[in-house]
Amino acid sequence: MADDVAPARRFEEALADLEGIVQRLEKGELGLEESLAAFERGIALVRSLSQRLADVERRVEVLLKTDAGKLVLRPADD
Amino acid sequence: MLRAGPAPRILSVTQLALRVRDALESLGTVWVAGEISNLRAQPSGHLYFTLKDDQHQVPAVMFRASAQVLPFRPGDGMDVVVHARVSFYPARGVLQLYVETMEPRGLGALQLAFEQLKARLDAEGLFAATRKRPLPRFPRAVGIVTARQGAAIHDMRTVLAARWPSCRVVIRPVRVQGTGAARDVAAGIADLNRVGGLDIIIVGRGGGSLEDLWAFNEEVVARAIAASRVPVLSAVGHEVDFTIADFVADARAPTPSAAAALVVPDRREVMEGLARADAALRAALARRVRTLGERLQALRRGLGDPERRVTDLALRIDDLATRARRGLARQVAWDRRELTTLDARLARVGPAPGLRRATERLAATAERLRFALAVRVRHARGALEQEAARLDALSPLACLSRGYAIVRRGDDRGPVVSDAATLAPGDLVALVFARGKARGRIETTVAEEDV
Repeated sequence: MADDVAPARRFEEALADLEGIVQRLEKGELGLEESLAAFERGIALVRSLSQRLADVERRVEVLLKTDAGKLVLRPADD
Repeated sequence: MLRAGPAPRILSVTQLALRVRDALESLGTVWVAGEISNLRAQPSGHLYFTLKDDQHQVPAVMFRASAQVLPFRPGDGMDVVVHARVSFYPARGVLQLYVETMEPRGLGALQLAFEQLKARLDAEGLFAATRKRPLPRFPRAVGIVTARQGAAIHDMRTVLAARWPSCRVVIRPVRVQGTGAARDVAAGIADLNRVGGLDIIIVGRGGGSLEDLWAFNEEVVARAIAASRVPVLSAVGHEVDFTIADFVADARAPTPSAAAALVVPDRREVMEGLARADAALRAALARRVRTLGERLQALRRGLGDPERRVTDLALRIDDLATRARRGLARQVAWDRRELTTLDARLARVGPAPGLRRATERLAATAERLRFALAVRVRHARGALEQEAARLDALSPLACLSRGYAIVRRGDDRGPVVSDAATLAPGDLVALVFARGKARGRIETTVAEEDV
């Protein structure tokens, strides 16, 4: 389960998974055990995605070219 | 045929040509309006064409140095105004316009250039809807190609931070107007492609005049956008008009802040969506459990309760038994009724009524006799019991219970002794008490006076 919600995974993929789980559960085509498993996975996804939304602000960088033509990234100043 | 007189001055062809050239060049530079025809672009970069109106035409040439700075491409049939020097090309003996600058008539040069580039890129398929890539829903990193200072970058950073703060932003500062701006913008797009990890690139600037925005109408920018592996969103701050960059980009936003709002979702909305998903999950699970429970109930009903079946059978048996009994009773009742009927019929056809009446009377009299006898007997028994009670009250036995004893001579069947003088010492007597008896011998007797 931890793999499914690792930060490396794209947010939209995790969200799409969540939507799929909700839909399958709502259609009621799963057995009880499957329903429970899907529910737990869905709740884990909700938590992980909410956590990611609460993450701190990511940095802003500036891409500059040196005289030698090399590209360098520097933190942007506000 | 020559006439007499001063000999005429004869010019060589060259002399004539040079005189014509001098005469023409004395005109200086002129503005001439006409239509381009028979245009030939040479590999050298020189343009050769004929400028004509509905009656006349003159050949014209525009050398490479002048031709290459034209923003638009001249073409046959185009109405233009040229600024040109008039001269004579002696080698071929023709008048020729040496064109320095050219302006399209009607449309401005920039406008024409725009229309031309647009038509060309469109024909190449660069604007095709099939080329447009979808924008990522949740970009992790956004590249921005714009001026380092100014409202555009400020607006974009503000909107990105407010809506989707967890995304990385890489800014490639460029000149967005003036000489070299277009090349700079193009290079910026290419550089951001080299950084890697970006999900979307915004290319843009704030609003301005057509000239200010011109870099975004240049081919080099269009090519850079088309070549970008990362999807590009153009955001040139002009609400109404489109730039070439807008047509080539994967998506277009009317302003830089609108572009920022377009590339990232709103965190609050996504959070609300997650909350809804959470509620939906819980509700769906609860529904699932309920549905399964109901199905279980239904199946249990379908399966039936074994105990219940036994009870049902027992009830059924009871019912059958009751019905059987009732049936039998009905049969008996029926038979009895039948018998009664037969009896009645028999009576009607039996002995004469007179005899029957006598018999009944006899029976009634016998009954009365029995009754009277019973009364009589009861009465006699009552009297007897009364006498017996009275007798009982007089019984000497009643005295015995108070401590008296009856003395009999001999054994207890002998005569009652009521006078001591009738006894002599040695006589055998029996004493009868209220309870029990005793036997003894007389020792002495005493006369009546001494008692």
